[in-house]
Amino acid sequence: MSAAAGHDAADSMRITLKVWRQEGPDRRGRMETYRLADVSPDMSFLEMLDVLNERLIAEGDDPVAFDHDCREGICGACSLVIDGQAHGPEALTTVCQLHMRRYSDGDTIHVEPWRANAFPVVKDLVVDRSAFDRIMAAGGFVATHAGAAQDANAILVPKPEADRAMDAAACIGCGACVAACPNASAMLFVAAKVAHLAQLPQGAPERERRALSMVHAMDAEGFGNCTNHFECMAACPKGISVENIARMNREFLRAALFERPTATAAEGG
Amino acid sequence: MSRIGNALASSVGKKIVMGLTGFLLVGFLVEHLHGNLKLIEDPSGRAFNEYVAFLQGFGPLLLVAELGLALLFLAHVYLAFRLTLENLQARRSGYVVRARRGGSTTGSLTMFYSGALILAYLVKHLLDFRFDARFFADPAALVKQTLAQPGHALAYVGAALVIGVHLSHGFRSAFQSLGVNHPGWNPLLAKLGMVVAFLLATGFAAIPLYFMLSASEGNPS
Amino acid sequence: MSAALSPPTARLDAKCPGGPIEERWDKHRFDLKLVNPANKRKFHALVVGTGLAGASAAASLAELGYRVTVFCIQDSPRRAHSIAAQGGINAAKNYPNDGDSIYRLFYDTVKGGDFRARESNVYRLAQVSNHIIDQCVALGVPFAREYGGVLANRSFGGAQVSRTFYARGQTGQQLLLGAYSALMRHVGSGRVQLCARREMLDVVVVDGVARGVVCRNLVSGAYERYAGDAVLLCTGGYGNVFYLSTNAKACNVTAAWRAHKRGAFFANPCFTQIHPTCIPVSGAYQSKLTLMSESLRNDGRVWVPKQKDDARPPSAIPDEERDYFLERRYPSFGNLVPRDVASRAAKERCDAGYGVGRTKLAVYLDFRDALRRDGSAAIREKYGNLLQMYAKITAEDPYQVPMRIYPAVHYTMGGLWVDYNLESTLPGLFVLGEANFSDHGANRLGASALMQGLADGFFIVPYTLGGHFAGRKLAPVSADQKEFVASEQAARARTERILAVGGARTVDSFHRELGRTMWDLCGMARNAAGLAKAKTHVRALRAEFWENVRVPADGARLNQNLEHAGRVADFLEFAELMIDDATQRTESCGGHFREESQTDDGEARRDDEHFSFAAAWEHRGDGQPAALHKEPLTFEYVKPSQRSYQ
Repeated sequence: MSAAAGHDAADSMRITLKVWRQEGPDRRGRMETYRLADVSPDMSFLEMLDVLNERLIAEGDDPVAFDHDCREGICGACSLVIDGQAHGPEALTTVCQLHMRRYSDGDTIHVEPWRANAFPVVKDLVVDRSAFDRIMAAGGFVATHAGAAQDANAILVPKPEADRAMDAAACIGCGACVAACPNASAMLFVAAKVAHLAQLPQGAPERERRALSMVHAMDAEGFGNCTNHFECMAACPKGISVENIARMNREFLRAALFERPTATAAEGG
Repeated sequence: MSRIGNALASSVGKKIVMGLTGFLLVGFLVEHLHGNLKLIEDPSGRAFNEYVAFLQGFGPLLLVAELGLALLFLAHVYLAFRLTLENLQARRSGYVVRARRGGSTTGSLTMFYSGALILAYLVKHLLDFRFDARFFADPAALVKQTLAQPGHALAYVGAALVIGVHLSHGFRSAFQSLGVNHPGWNPLLAKLGMVVAFLLATGFAAIPLYFMLSASEGNPS
Repeated sequence: MSAALSPPTARLDAKCPGGPIEERWDKHRFDLKLVNPANKRKFHALVVGTGLAGASAAASLAELGYRVTVFCIQDSPRRAHSIAAQGGINAAKNYPNDGDSIYRLFYDTVKGGDFRARESNVYRLAQVSNHIIDQCVALGVPFAREYGGVLANRSFGGAQVSRTFYARGQTGQQLLLGAYSALMRHVGSGRVQLCARREMLDVVVVDGVARGVVCRNLVSGAYERYAGDAVLLCTGGYGNVFYLSTNAKACNVTAAWRAHKRGAFFANPCFTQIHPTCIPVSGAYQSKLTLMSESLRNDGRVWVPKQKDDARPPSAIPDEERDYFLERRYPSFGNLVPRDVASRAAKERCDAGYGVGRTKLAVYLDFRDALRRDGSAAIREKYGNLLQMYAKITAEDPYQVPMRIYPAVHYTMGGLWVDYNLESTLPGLFVLGEANFSDHGANRLGASALMQGLADGFFIVPYTLGGHFAGRKLAPVSADQKEFVASEQAARARTERILAVGGARTVDSFHRELGRTMWDLCGMARNAAGLAKAKTHVRALRAEFWENVRVPADGARLNQNLEHAGRVADFLEFAELMIDDATQRTESCGGHFREESQTDDGEARRDDEHFSFAAAWEHRGDGQPAALHKEPLTFEYVKPSQRSYQ
C-alpha cells in the first residue's frame, strides 16, 4: 500500500452486491443482484451504496433505501446485516465506519436489513426501531426536572462506578444486538440503560420501578427471550458487555421481590 | 400472587426460573450419579440396592420428592418449549445469509434439541427402570441386565454425552440468568461449567459402558 | 439598548433589558408575564427538532405543564446530530479553582466571537451554564470524575482555564441521551406527543403569529397539519450547504429557510466555522468529512514540502526542505493558533500548490518529533483513540507516516435572527440552538455549542415562552383553517413540482456542485469577484435544478431521494443569501475572511466602524432581493480589540 500518496485508480475493485429489496412493510422482499465495476478501497460501505444508488437513479430504477446519518459511528442510524453479520465483519465498528478495503476484487456481498418482528421493515434496508423509544419512555430516565438540581458536585460518584456507568451508557441504540441475537432479543439494549442508571446515585430512587417497567415494555414489543448466546455483545459496535444483562437480571429480581407499588407510580410527575 | 405471576411471566422472570430449575436439576444429577456409581463401586450390586432401599425407606416423603423433581422437570421443559416458540416467533422472516460472530456455541445453539433428546431419553429411562415392575425386586440386576444389551447401553452413553453438551452452555448460562457475571469470576465460572459438564457426561457414560463391556467380556457370544 | 435602534432597524427590537449586565436576566424574568398553572395545559407548543435544544425544550415545557408535540426527521429523537459532538461542554463552575467565573466565560465568548455577538445574550449564557451541568448530572449523564467522586474538568480549545466538562470523547452523545431521556419520560406520561420521521415543510402563520406547522410524514408521504400556540425551531445549522462537512447527512436548512420565507429574518448567514483538523477528501465519492480533535495540534507539527509537487514520501523529506508554515507565520503561537487562522494558513499553502497527497488538498500533521521525544507509548496514551480512528478511515499508520489533514465546515454561527426571548421576527416562532444566530458572533469557541443548545432549551425558552403565551391574545386555531390548508397545498405543490421535473441529473450531483462552488468561492476565504461569480453560478445551478433534476419513484411512501431533493432545493435558494451576506460584509471577522480586508501579513482585519452589527435579512418574495436590516452591536463591557497570534 502506498503511504501518503493514497490509492491509485488501479486499485478499483469489482463487487457483486446481493441486496434485500422490499417495497413496503406488507410486501414480499427478495434479494436483488447488482454489479459494481469501480469500487475504490477507500470508500466507506455506505459510500459504495451511494454510488450504486446514483447509478440506479440514472437508470430509472428505485434507489436502495437505507438508514444512515452521522456517518461517524455515533448516531446509531445505520443498520445493515452484511454477509450475515450485524454491521459487517469488523468488530466494534458500525457499517458507516466499514471501508471497502476490507474486501477484495470479485467479492460477493449480501446486504440485509435488521430482522426481528419488533423491527418491521419499512422499505428495503430501513426498519422501524420505534420499539426502543417506547421502552425508553417506559422508564429509561431519571424523573427530575429543570430547576430542581442541586450543585453537580453535591453528588459524588466514585470514578470506577462512573466509568462502569459510562461503559453502559455508550450504547448508540442501533439495534445490532437484536439483529445479531438468534432469538431477536433486545435484552442488551434494555440492560445497558438499566445498568447505566442503576449504578449512579441519581438513578437509585427509581431503580426498581425502572427495571420492572422497562422489562415489561420490552416484552410488550415482541422481542425474543435472552438465552445467553452472547451474540449481542460480539456484534455491539460499542462493546457493551453482557455483564449489564446479569445486572439487569439482579435488578429485576430485586424489584420483583421488594418493590412496593404505589398508586402514583405511573404518573411520572 | 399476580405480582409474582407477572414477574415470572416476563422475559427476565422466565430466564431466572429456567436458570434456577436448571441448577436444581444439575444438583439432582450430581446426587443421581453419586447413587449410580455405587453400581461400579460394588459390582455385586449390593451397595446400589441398599441405596435404593434407603431411598425407599422415606416412604411417602420420597413420593413428595419425586413429585417435586417432576415439577422441576416440567417447569424446565415447559419454559423451554415456550421460550423456543416465542423466540421463533420473534423473527418470522429470517436471514438469507447467517453468520455467527463467536458469541454463541454449539451448546448454546442446540439447547432445545439437546433438551428434547434428554426428555426422550428420560421417558425411556423411567420406563426402563422406575416403572418396570421388576426394578424394586433387585434394582442392580435389572440395570445390569438392561445395560448388558449394547443397544440400550449405547443409547445411555449417547444420552450422557447429550447432557454434557446441554450443560456446556446451561451451567454458565444459569449463573448469568441469575445475575452472576463478574469479570473477576467469569473465567473460573466458564471453566467450572465445562468441568461439571464433562464430569457428569463421563460419569453417566461410564456406567452403561462398564456394563456393556463387562457383559461382552463375560459372555463372548 | 433598545432605545438606540435607528429607524431602518426599527423592526429589530432585541428586547434586551438595560441595567447592569449581571442583573438583566433576573430583571427580564421578573418582567415576563406568567401563565397561571391551571392554564398551562391549554397552551400547546410545537417543537421541531430533537437535538440538545429541542429535546431539552420539549422536556422542560412538558414539566411546566404545557402540551407539547415534537418532530424529528430521524427514526428516533436520540439520533439528532448533537450526538456527534466529542470534546465537551463549558461551564463557569470554577471547580478547578483556576480563576474562572461567569464574567470570564462571558468575556472569552464575546472576544472569541470576534465582537459580533450580543453582550446581553452571551452574559446570560454564561450565567446559566452552571445550571446546565447541575441539571445534566441530575439526569444521570456520566461525566468524567476524579477518584474522589467529584467532576473532572479539562482545558479545551486554547482556553486559559479548565472549564470543560466531558464524558470521554462522547460528550454530545451523553448530553443528548440525557435530554432525550427527559423527553421520553414525558412521551411516556402523555404530555409530549412524539412524531418521528417527519420533516417540517412550512410554518403556518395565522393573524401574523406562527400557529402551526405542515410536515411530510417521511414513511407514508402524507402531509400533516399541526396547530398550536407557538412553534420552536431547533433544527440545527446549515453546514451541508457545502455538501462536504462534518454534519450528519440529514442536517439541512429547510425548516429555517421555510420559516424565513414566512417572515423570520435570517441573520449573519455568512458566519460559518471551518475546523482545521479534518481527514481530507479521498475521492469523488466522498459523502462526508470526519473531524479529528484539535487537541492533536498540541503535539503534532503542521507542514508541507518547500518544493512544489514533491513526490518523495514525507519521511524522505529532510527538515530543511519542510515548511512548518504555522510556526513560520506565527512564531509565538505556532501550531496552536485558533481554528480559523490555522484553517486559512493551510488553505493558503494548498492554493499556492504545496498541498500533499493525491488530491493536493491536504497538509501534514506530523507526530515524528513528539514520538522521538516522548515515545509511542506516551503518544498512544494521549491520542490513541484518535490515531486509531484515523488509521481506520485512511488505512495509514500515523505512528509511521504523518497524518494528512485539511479544514472542513463544522458549525454555522449564523441562523434565524432572534431577540433576547429567542423569538424571531415572526411572532410566536422561537428559534433555539445552532438554528439561531444569537450567542457565538462570528466564531464559536470549542465546547460552547452544547452549552448554548441546552441553555436555550432548559433555562431560557421555558420562561420566555410563558411571556408569549401570557402576553399575547391567542385566538383558538384549528388545523382545518384556511391558512393551514394553504400552507399544506404550497408544500405539496413544491414537492410535486420536484417530482414532475423528470430530468436527467441526480439530486446528489446538484448538491455536490453547489457544495464545491460554495467551498471554493464562499468558504474559508472570500472576495468580491469570487462571490459575484458564485452568485451567478448558484442561480444557474438553481435554474438547472428545476429543469433537469431527476427524482425517482413517487412521493406517497418512503423516498429518501425526494427528501434530499427538497433540502437541496432550499440550499440552492439559501446559498444565494449566504453569498449576499458575505458580499455586503467587506470586513474580515471570525470565520468570515474577506481577502480585501487583511493586514499586510495576510491576517484578518475587522472593521468595527462599519460592521459592528448583526445582518438580518428579510425575505421579500421569490426572485426578489432580500432586504438587509442591521441590528447594531454595542459593547459596554468587553471593548473590541484586534486579535494577534504572532
